[in-house]
Amino acid sequence: MARLSSQTTTHPSRRRTHTIDLFSRWSFLTPATVILVAVLAYPIIYTIVISFSELSLATFSPTSWVGLDHYIDALTNRNFLNSILVTGVYLLFALPIQMLLGFGTAFLMNAEWKGRGVVRALFLIPMVVAPVVAGGIWRQLLDPLWGAVNWFIGLFGAPALDWLGDPTLAMITIVLIDTWRWTPFVALIAAAAMLSLPSDVFEAARIDGANWWQTLTKVTIPLLTPIIAATFVVRWLGAVKMFDIVLASTKGGPGQATNVVNLYIYEEAFRGLHFAEASAMSVVVLVITMVLTAVFLRMSNKLEEKF
Amino acid sequence: MSIAVRSHRTQKRTAHLVRIWAGVIVCLLFLFPVLWMVMTSFKLPKDIFTVPPTIFFTPTIETYTSYLQYADVPQRMLNTVIVAFGASIVSIVAGAMAGYALARIRIRGAATLGVLILASRGVPPIALAVPMFLVARNLGLADTHIVLILAYCSFLIPYVMWLLRGFFVALPKELEEAAQLDGCSRMGAFFRIIVPISLPGIVSALIFSVILAWEELLFALVLTNNFATTIPVAVAGIAGDTVNGANWGALAAVGTLTVIPVVIFALLVQKWLIRGMAEGATKG
Amino acid sequence: MTHTLRKTARRAVIGGLLATAMVVVAGCSSGSAGAPEGGGVGTADKPVSIRMIANEAFANQWQELMVPEFNKDFPNIKVQIDGVPYAELLAKSMLDQTGAKPTYDVIIADDPWIPQLAQTGSLLDLKKDAKEWTADDYDWDDFYAAPLAAGEWDGVQYGVPVRSNLLLMFTNKKLYQDAGVPVPTDKLTWDEFFEQAPKLVRDTDGDGKDDVWATDTYFTRDSLTPTIWQTVLNSDGGQLLDKDNKPAFDNADGVKALQTQIDMIEFAPPGASTHGFNESLEAFRQGKVASLFMWGSVFKGTAVDTDTTTLTPDQVGIQVMPAGEKMAGAHRGIWSAAVSAKSPNAEAAWALTQWLSSKKGEVWQANKLGVFPARKSTLASTPEAGSEWLAPVFTALAEGFQVAGEGEMWRPRLPESDAVQQILATETARATSGEISAKEALDNAADQVEKLLG
Repeated sequence: MARLSSQTTTHPSRRRTHTIDLFSRWSFLTPATVILVAVLAYPIIYTIVISFSELSLATFSPTSWVGLDHYIDALTNRNFLNSILVTGVYLLFALPIQMLLGFGTAFLMNAEWKGRGVVRALFLIPMVVAPVVAGGIWRQLLDPLWGAVNWFIGLFGAPALDWLGDPTLAMITIVLIDTWRWTPFVALIAAAAMLSLPSDVFEAARIDGANWWQTLTKVTIPLLTPIIAATFVVRWLGAVKMFDIVLASTKGGPGQATNVVNLYIYEEAFRGLHFAEASAMSVVVLVITMVLTAVFLRMSNKLEEKF
Repeated sequence: MSIAVRSHRTQKRTAHLVRIWAGVIVCLLFLFPVLWMVMTSFKLPKDIFTVPPTIFFTPTIETYTSYLQYADVPQRMLNTVIVAFGASIVSIVAGAMAGYALARIRIRGAATLGVLILASRGVPPIALAVPMFLVARNLGLADTHIVLILAYCSFLIPYVMWLLRGFFVALPKELEEAAQLDGCSRMGAFFRIIVPISLPGIVSALIFSVILAWEELLFALVLTNNFATTIPVAVAGIAGDTVNGANWGALAAVGTLTVIPVVIFALLVQKWLIRGMAEGATKG
Repeated sequence: MTHTLRKTARRAVIGGLLATAMVVVAGCSSGSAGAPEGGGVGTADKPVSIRMIANEAFANQWQELMVPEFNKDFPNIKVQIDGVPYAELLAKSMLDQTGAKPTYDVIIADDPWIPQLAQTGSLLDLKKDAKEWTADDYDWDDFYAAPLAAGEWDGVQYGVPVRSNLLLMFTNKKLYQDAGVPVPTDKLTWDEFFEQAPKLVRDTDGDGKDDVWATDTYFTRDSLTPTIWQTVLNSDGGQLLDKDNKPAFDNADGVKALQTQIDMIEFAPPGASTHGFNESLEAFRQGKVASLFMWGSVFKGTAVDTDTTTLTPDQVGIQVMPAGEKMAGAHRGIWSAAVSAKSPNAEAAWALTQWLSSKKGEVWQANKLGVFPARKSTLASTPEAGSEWLAPVFTALAEGFQVAGEGEMWRPRLPESDAVQQILATETARATSGEISAKEALDNAADQVEKLLG
């Protein structure tokens, strides 16, 4: 990559150029950093401070310092730990399915024909439907008594499945609704990425006589790795925060079977008004998320370098 | 020999047709619940929960006309448009620049900064909403468009930044080198060369930014009261109606209405996207 | 000379105008600074503006229909009502009222929230601080004790009932008659209920599968679900918490009550264990279940409005919930209106709140909006023409308030009430879904409640 100045000399004009160069590099990061610091700095500090204190609900400000009490409470809270487990199970199934389905669908949607733009635009719709409405519609469709899905599978003789009342089926339900909502996201990004792929590489592969599978594994996937990694990380962070779908469909039930961690924190904060405890839990979730994100990023960096 | 060529071409055409039709079928499958929602929006409340589900019914537009005026939907739609597009445009500009910096420019500490920014996405929004409200109230900004736009930027910028970083990393390195040999500054090279080439990625990021901001509920609930409330808040209110029971017809109607502007936007932008691609292709 | 005179005259006029202007300006500013704390009920030139925070479900109805009626009596009070979804209403009210200058002058609080709000010190003592603005014929004693108690905390009256609701029993008389089961009266006991239940689960169209069931109600994971078994417990003479705020439900009575709710599922439609407010209501409205335990406020949409229900007024019965060992059951769910203590327009805010809960206001609300009253006079009155459907409701409400008052049938009166309810909701959900037994659920809940209340 071209460098505009050498960094070993202290010649005044070179130093000035160096400063200008540094400025020009950082200017790319400035708008984002400024906005994020302005908006996030106080809230994050506040969250951390009240996670170590008692919160007075009369003024919403921290009163006495309680140290790690809230954290210990959180980490010994059976319900909180259960919600982390539930979230883990949900992510384990939802993320791979969404990535595979998304990239596969993107491939199908990229086929060149007149209706391609329309299909792509329509495919967006599941993402746009408000989560409350989406959860509600799916709840209707899956209801054992009047749901279209059970009526449909009943035509083939299958018994009425209790989609929302059976713990395993309820987990499948939220994975299903989440996949329905977010596969278009993955597909959209993947489609754009596939369109950006340089066509000469594929020409070269074709001339070399590569077949469909070889092209896929030796050319397409390596080229797409940065996008796959970026999409995965972005989707992973979004999925960790998911709770509106669960709230609208299963409400965390049956029992605690689908009580994902963000729903649990939301209810602690807004129903129980336990803001300080909820902050401690949020910090715990944040730490876990950051650790896992770092792991994913390192893995994706290695993959990028390999390809 | 010509027979072999012809059958190979037919094979390719069949494969192509299968690909197209598979895509259409998948799209239709995904749209089935949406179709159900649109149907529901035209049903009378008592036709919605019947056993078995009614497919033929007398349609009514009463839900659209009566309830929607009642619930101040037009005003809220306008607010949602302002906030979603405002936040998205700011985020695209800031995020694209930041993503480019992370992908292509060597800056000490940039990678750490980038990871920190990304990690901020991991904070449960519930934790952030209350302090944001307290700050906004102290600054007198509660219940304004600007406070929502800023709040939305807080989660859109990291997204855009990391997504576009992935796009930029995949670009050939020769592009900037050529531009800089021609005497372009970094910023100039970015805006004149990189951005046009990355339009598919940037437009995709814009579309999904609009969508994410469009449907955001928690910040809108906490930070606004009346003046700047958005459609998702209205939807939550209808769904959580603990007095009369959730009016599913109204929910479906609002759901249908909120889908339309974004789809139109996506359709318009799609055409532009394809045109951009065509130009990019001819340039090679 | 004329010239000087004219100049002096002009100066005098200008001076006079300036002086008048200054007096007016000073009068205006000192008017706002030196006016009595309430700010009055406004005049035609200087109207007063107040804002109210309420449940989204009825905010619009009130803004469009109630405020104009209120303005007939108080034309100079401008009222703006902001609706917030129920789930976030408490948090938003708390956030608002704890600021230095709250946005809202009137707060509409659900039944268990008054202690929490009052504890922050932001609510006005209505009987003391608003005494001089209260009309002579307001008649505090005309209220039933139970609804009025919803707005009281620690001996101080902070709120007045403006939308009074009770958990009651709805019956589909036709389904009972078709099954050959006597239609329930308000003397029904839980034992009789479970005797009748199996006969009410039938196959009506001869296809071999049951298509009507005996009952439906809240079973899902929701903070209102425990109120069902709490009512059973109350009607047996039990309480959730004892005098020292220690759990009093993890005993045989509590287990019996929770088990009653779990046993209901057997006679409810498939998937009932996930049913909450909407699903059970719809099941009843579609004529699929013979009985429903639900908030009385849904009566109009269930028995009268042909847009939302397949049933008719003479098909639907409303009454108190079945009797346990001590008395019949009901559960209080009163929306109270409170006035912010930091409001600069407290008098106008109280004017609105007072009007809503006055004898005149209640009668108007009941007949025109179908909102339930809390006054003995209103519940004893005859509904106006066009609202005849209110008559059986009034009877059920009057009996319900009586019974609820006797048995203290409401959620715990504590600042931590919602938190307690959350714990109960989670454990109840685990029991209704069959994950754990009723006893284990109540023991878990009791441990957590004890820890919470310290």
